[in-house]
Amino acid sequence: MWLACRFLYDMKRRLIFLFLALMPCAFVAEGRPYVNDKKAPEDRKDIEVIQSALQSALPQARAATVCIELKEGSGSGVIVSADGLVLTAAHVSIGVNKKVIVILEDGTRHDARTLGLVAGSDAAMLRITDEGEFPFVEIDRENSARLGDWVFSLGHSGGFDKERGSVVRLGRLVRIANNTLQSDCILIGGDSGGPLFDLTGKLVGIHSRVGQQLQVNMHVPMSEFLGNWDGMMNGEFIGEGPFAEKPVKGSGFLGLATDARKEGGLRVTKVGNKSPAQQAGVKEGDVLLTLNGTPLETRAQMQELLKEMAAGDEVTFELERKGKRETLTFELGER
Amino acid sequence: MNAKRLIFIIACVLALPLHGQQNLESAYRTTGPAVTAVFEPQRAVLQTSSAVILGGRKEMSYGIVISADGHILTKASELEGLDKISVTVDRTNYKDVRILATDPQWDVALIKIDATDLLPVVYAATSEVPHGTWVVANGATSRTTRRALAGIVSAKVREIPAAGGAALGVVLNVKGKLLEIEEIADGSGAQQAGLEKGDVILTIEGTEIKKIEDIAEVLKDRKAGSTVKVTYRRGKREFTAEVRLTSKGELFNDTMNRNDMMSGDYSKRRSGFPRVMQHDILGSSRVTGGPLLDLEGRCIGMNIARANRAESFAIPVEDLKALAERLMKQVAGPPPETE
Repeated sequence: MWLACRFLYDMKRRLIFLFLALMPCAFVAEGRPYVNDKKAPEDRKDIEVIQSALQSALPQARAATVCIELKEGSGSGVIVSADGLVLTAAHVSIGVNKKVIVILEDGTRHDARTLGLVAGSDAAMLRITDEGEFPFVEIDRENSARLGDWVFSLGHSGGFDKERGSVVRLGRLVRIANNTLQSDCILIGGDSGGPLFDLTGKLVGIHSRVGQQLQVNMHVPMSEFLGNWDGMMNGEFIGEGPFAEKPVKGSGFLGLATDARKEGGLRVTKVGNKSPAQQAGVKEGDVLLTLNGTPLETRAQMQELLKEMAAGDEVTFELERKGKRETLTFELGER
Repeated sequence: MNAKRLIFIIACVLALPLHGQQNLESAYRTTGPAVTAVFEPQRAVLQTSSAVILGGRKEMSYGIVISADGHILTKASELEGLDKISVTVDRTNYKDVRILATDPQWDVALIKIDATDLLPVVYAATSEVPHGTWVVANGATSRTTRRALAGIVSAKVREIPAAGGAALGVVLNVKGKLLEIEEIADGSGAQQAGLEKGDVILTIEGTEIKKIEDIAEVLKDRKAGSTVKVTYRRGKREFTAEVRLTSKGELFNDTMNRNDMMSGDYSKRRSGFPRVMQHDILGSSRVTGGPLLDLEGRCIGMNIARANRAESFAIPVEDLKALAERLMKQVAGPPPETE
């Protein structure tokens, strides 16, 4: 039986061969470094195995680690597919279907839009909307991380810094609970949403929160993402707090007054000072023709449409200004 | 400062159901004794070739032994205000400590103890090692025994510009077309150069100064630690002084941001370095000043600042060697003239 395993194995890994021979086959298939199964590294060779595994996984891991820029600040995330699916934390993305900017390690900026999130466990997804092939990492789908495993974290600590790059930290998994991993890779603000990897470079967690002590650094395990995958892909806001607050319907605010026109559309009679509408460039005299594709006929009808939306939701108006058609897209303010 | 807010990790551990949890005993965590035991060869180097700087009986910072007869490099700003400085190397405590020279730009001091037969560090060939390379530094210490903590090289070698930019360290009052010094910041270059309240600034680096914007223009591309020539008027006389620029953040104690608040203690001087390497060794600000070792036990840098809970800076070995040579030369004075 162990011969079969041996053939699966790359001859370059002779270093860990002897030990593998003693291990059940399940471990061999995963490429799990033997040091993870020692309570502590015992000699120079053990720590060099950790170092070389980390260093071979690092380039791809770093290429896939991104900074996420929002209006409210910045966090981190990690790309998990060539077409630009990004995993991050719910307290970074905050809501669904929001525009954000994703910054790659080399400083390239891409438009992206948030997908769904799990408010109770701090898991979230977003997608880069620019076309392209992006560097990505594999997810640990087998839930193979064990207590004491060596892991490394990446993240844009304190925000994006091209001269510095994302910051790598090494540590061990020090606590495993059903919906949380704890490591002693030290995290700080800006790391939120960034990736935690095992020594084979597979993604095992997403940075969530820290305690006062340096040793308390918490991550969302992959099982939370995999268990809510379809809902998040569909843009669902799953569960209630504490990591993201569900938007309240009817809380949105445009900041303008209108009068219905006989021939259809609503003429803007007043634009509130510093209102979302004013900041987006809506002017008195503009005629609003459609809201998110729905033709506008009466004030009551527009209010009905807005009642179903929340502060922070995006609205697109098609409007007529001095005989010309224009389109304006902006977010509703907080009432 | 970036006005934008960072997304902060919620800084308290929320009550989450922890049933079925498993815990790794602290001895086996990255800083635990069972793990650090494997770094005994590097710890042995810290034992003989790092120095503990004490203020009274308290360990304040560390140093690097660079000569057998007791020359030590350490973090200069950690020496400020220290009472009863003594230095421990290996098991011996040396009471007679002289500060020979300091380099304000790198925040490094050369000090001397009366010792013989010390084991100076051996420098590594280069600081250009791949990210993820193990490094070892001083952890806490007992009176007789140094402890080692290990981490990895974690980001690119780079400059850390002075927080808030470089400044003379004065608050000016506009009096007609004159700029008069109203206040002088403690520890500023202006104070050290002998400027006083009431002095009128005339020129900086030859540029006439008529308004506050003129100063900003002259200083904008200059670095903390460098010096500028300032002419000023006191009473009816004019004077010239070489004023060292200091980082604004350091002088006026920039307000703590949320990352600082969650960092525990950090180095007071943590910016304005021409070049640093970054590592992730966990420790307090008290472990700065000592050597950063590679797995061969060679000195690859000098721990110069704990910037925050996740980022520590070290002076790369190339710069450290050049700095050590420069300070030693400065202390030796010009070579005696031969006849």
